[in-house]
Amino acid sequence: MPEEKKDELVHLTIDDIPVAVPPGTLVWAAAREAGIEVPIYCYHPKMPPLGACRMCFVEIEKMPKPPQTACTTPVSEGMIVHTKTEKVLKARRGTLEFLLINHPLDCPICDKGGECDLQDFTLRHGPGGTRFDQPKRHYQKPIPVSDRVMLDRERCILCQRCTRFSSEISMDNGLVMISRGYKMEVGTAPDHAFDSIFSGNTVEICPVGALTATAYRFKARPWELKHIPSVCNNCSVGCNVRVDVRVDKIMRNMSRQNDAIDDGWLCDRGRWGFEYVNSPQRLRTPMIRRDGQLVAAAWEQAFYTIALRLSEITKKYGASAIGGIGSTRTTNEDAYLFQKLLRQVIGTPHVDHHHGYFPGLRDSMTGKPWMMTNSIAEIEQASHIVLIAADPYQRQPILDLRIKKAMKGGAKIYVVNVNETELDRFAVQKITLPQQGAGAVAKILLSTVVRQEEMKAPDEALRAKLLQEDALIRGHEEMLGSEVTAQLRELAHEIAEARGAIILYDEMATLEAGCEDLAADLQALAVVTGNIDRPGAGVGPLFEDANSLGARDMGLLPDALPGYNPAEDAGMTYAEMLSSLQLKALYVMGANPARHVEKLPDSLKLLIVQDIMLTETAQQADIVLPAVTFAEKDGSMTNIDHHVQAIRQALRPLPGAKADWEIFVEIARHMGIKWNYASSKEILREIAEENPFYAGLDWEELGAQGVRTQEQEVARA
Amino acid sequence: MPELIITKNIDAPGLDTLKGYRKRGGYKSLAKALKEYQPDDILEMVKKSGLRGRGGAGFPTGMKWGFLAKNQPRYLCCNCDESEPGTFKDRMLMEKNPHQLIEGVILTSYACRVSVAFIYVRGELALAGRQIERAIEEAYGAGLIGKNILGSGYDLEVIMHRGAGAYICGEESALMESLEGRRGYPRLKPPFPAAVGLYGGPTVINNCETLSTIPAIVKNGADWYASFGTEKSKGTRVFCLSGHVKKPGNYELPLGTPLRTLIYDEEYGGGILDDKQLKAIIPGGSSTFMLGADKVDTPLDFEAIAAAGSMLGSGGVVVIHEDTCIVGAALRMTEFYRDESCGKCTPCREGTYWLTEIYERLEHGRGKESDIDLLMDICDNISGKSFCPLGDAATSPITSSIKLFREEYEYHVRHGRCMVGDQHAQQETLLAGAQSVHAGAPAKEM
Repeated sequence: MPEEKKDELVHLTIDDIPVAVPPGTLVWAAAREAGIEVPIYCYHPKMPPLGACRMCFVEIEKMPKPPQTACTTPVSEGMIVHTKTEKVLKARRGTLEFLLINHPLDCPICDKGGECDLQDFTLRHGPGGTRFDQPKRHYQKPIPVSDRVMLDRERCILCQRCTRFSSEISMDNGLVMISRGYKMEVGTAPDHAFDSIFSGNTVEICPVGALTATAYRFKARPWELKHIPSVCNNCSVGCNVRVDVRVDKIMRNMSRQNDAIDDGWLCDRGRWGFEYVNSPQRLRTPMIRRDGQLVAAAWEQAFYTIALRLSEITKKYGASAIGGIGSTRTTNEDAYLFQKLLRQVIGTPHVDHHHGYFPGLRDSMTGKPWMMTNSIAEIEQASHIVLIAADPYQRQPILDLRIKKAMKGGAKIYVVNVNETELDRFAVQKITLPQQGAGAVAKILLSTVVRQEEMKAPDEALRAKLLQEDALIRGHEEMLGSEVTAQLRELAHEIAEARGAIILYDEMATLEAGCEDLAADLQALAVVTGNIDRPGAGVGPLFEDANSLGARDMGLLPDALPGYNPAEDAGMTYAEMLSSLQLKALYVMGANPARHVEKLPDSLKLLIVQDIMLTETAQQADIVLPAVTFAEKDGSMTNIDHHVQAIRQALRPLPGAKADWEIFVEIARHMGIKWNYASSKEILREIAEENPFYAGLDWEELGAQGVRTQEQEVARA
Repeated sequence: MPELIITKNIDAPGLDTLKGYRKRGGYKSLAKALKEYQPDDILEMVKKSGLRGRGGAGFPTGMKWGFLAKNQPRYLCCNCDESEPGTFKDRMLMEKNPHQLIEGVILTSYACRVSVAFIYVRGELALAGRQIERAIEEAYGAGLIGKNILGSGYDLEVIMHRGAGAYICGEESALMESLEGRRGYPRLKPPFPAAVGLYGGPTVINNCETLSTIPAIVKNGADWYASFGTEKSKGTRVFCLSGHVKKPGNYELPLGTPLRTLIYDEEYGGGILDDKQLKAIIPGGSSTFMLGADKVDTPLDFEAIAAAGSMLGSGGVVVIHEDTCIVGAALRMTEFYRDESCGKCTPCREGTYWLTEIYERLEHGRGKESDIDLLMDICDNISGKSFCPLGDAATSPITSSIKLFREEYEYHVRHGRCMVGDQHAQQETLLAGAQSVHAGAPAKEM
């Protein structure tokens, strides 16, 4: 949206304070601009006004029947608003008294106590006592509405935020209102659990203690919690979280609204999937295999052994007998230093991690490295959202909410998938594929556009290439059948004609047989239909993990140095390292390749695994090094739309474990190279000096909400 | 006896069939309108007739049609969810003369350039629903609804929908929510239905009686219709007379007829049951303020009833005689509003619950002296603070009955029983009367 010009603002006064806000702003929001609290329960800035709780009363001059509700009234020029007249104060007292007549006042054992809007507004706006001296309404309390959420109907003030979240935002109607009048209650459809993956948001937006999280019940009082701004580590979206910690244990994660990324929501995986941080299974000491058994060892001993064994192997087989597999969940700094250790200290070109298949470092048509070309927020501006072999609900849940928001704004959703997906019921069309059909889909979409001369950016080389592939394409069409082919032709036409199409595919779908060209063909489709480099249009992979894109940026690739600079000698790929008999030593950081192969190569004489738990791979290791989680260190991560965001240390590191980068510094030292990084911030500075996608960034600049960076000239210091 | 417009021939056998309705001139207005009038002619005619909405608010019908936004598709919705306690006129009109309503719906749809009309019938009115359903079927069969009505080129679909049993769905925006398949919750206004109504389209929504009047206006002209009634309240209305009268029922009278005529005239109510004294009148359904017996000469028109301190509302005139305990009567009505509150907003949901709790204890002899003022203050915290008018409506019987009969409430507190019929009451009344005068409340007429 263009920036509001000053003369386009609406001017009004609230309690004699002049305020200027954009047209359409609600009086409630305008009052907040003026620093005046108008209490609300039912209203939530991410949902349309409801006007149900009758708490946000104000008096507006020249409007009929005072008082009015501030959350339903848009501002108008010259409006004069009063928020503290006797009429207003009495009405608010009245509403609070009504809300409290049936409220159990069980604050001492309520999880919400201390951060409860009912407590706070009663203190600031309510009556000192009640005139209600009769029996309160009682319910069985609390009842589970799912394994994760408990409902206490006595505490509920029926503001309907949770049920509206279910209908308006997650659109799964997980929670609904049942019955009417004084018998009205929140509940689920008969015989259905509240099994939404977004259920935790209802707990967070509940203004009282009616919805509580099983994971947090009776764990802490809010005032005991230390709040640390961080970023969720569970998928590539990178939702902003506030990690709430009590005595070095994570108690819960809350949303730290970032409209560019998460729009204020978290999925349940992100909110509650932190058990591994607090897990008693965490590794607390390095281990070295002796007589077939992993036994505890001192760090110094582990470093010494690693340095010795690596130099022995280098001497005997050469450095290229050593390989490194990195992580998609550790920080940019960890990833950067890992490849630096391998390439510069050990001297091997074999660096990779588990990722999708993309031809070359950059797309040949656009020269862009492989990543989503549009931002997350731009999804809202698309007219068409095409999901090919992608299931955001399962893999990038908060993107699913953004797609639904776009749909409410008029975007059409197309789902092309082998399986059923949650978005199917919202799709204008679901195209069901046979197994491994995604590659064929991309090829047919692209060739349809090219053949039917619907290219906005004609490309003769592409045309020629597709001509050569004619037989292949006909084979694809036969495989998919005439019905699916016809649907795809229609879809190709829609994409070509779209005001803005965003075409997304799952990173890992590119690994399926027949999907070698998936990424390239879809990128080409976007280019020739003009759906790239403009608002509301784009294409790209949906990455798997929190730092999948960062790992690529940092050069955890066999053919790329940091910043997608081509490596002089391309190293072995992930799959090659896991099958090559030339490899004698493998260093695995934060990854579990044993999941992907039946057996690690017999030729391996040294397996070093650095992780937080004893994974399948670690169990086979010769040396195991205990690392810390995202919650125990500072660093940066790069999400799916290239927001570089800071994660901050929330807990003291688990005793005995170290941050990955600290471990690398020590190993380098033991191998005779001295690195002078005092903190991860200094590593970030080095990254920023060399990597065109991070040029000029520093730790402070990442701030609370991160920075979405693009490729630019490196500003060399 | 004055001329009947809407209830003319209402008891004639066979009127509810297409044949019977046509025999008595039915659908002639429609034929005439489609042939001779442009849609705007009918709109002007209705404006000129002075017809005001018969649902409760009394808003000028033609003006409402005129507000309709110009975009298509637009809808007509006929509100037949008649649920206001004391009101039973729409039910009779639907049961006995469904085609009159259908004709009104078609005429209005034509005037408002609507091509889909809905008739929302209260679910409990099973017979009325069946009659409307059958009448629609007959009308489709006769080419009165559907494509190219009577060869005019005008197309209209009419769809009947049964409510599922909620008073709130008589409120126009809750009705539309319900019609669209959601919870019967009132909608935020603005936007008003004329701009954004059913399925997002501009919608004109009128009461059953209002639309049943349209054929007569089209047939006889605006001036003819305006010759009935008073200066500002034109035409006739069907008054639903109930309570303690000898002959309760639906009576069509020109607006401006005094309440006394409706209640006492032999043609209509025929006087108070058992020739008792009149105590109070609810003039327009339970949502309107009670009037004292001294207001019995008030003319039944919008302005006069408003001047007397109430509203003409839905035309449900409830007569209360001297043997009625006003606390018990108000309890009954308050319970109704508690049960029918949709629950969306706090004051109505919690307030009606609390009010009922207080009434229960007053009624059962456990009331407190402070309860009466508490009732008044709770009403003040509901009235004007609730989301829709149901909250306001719930307070009407309470505040008006306390204002008129405070001493009965006080008697309930002090003696734990009704003043009415209590042998000690007479003496007590004298005492209470003295106190009431002191408190500035009107003394009871004995």
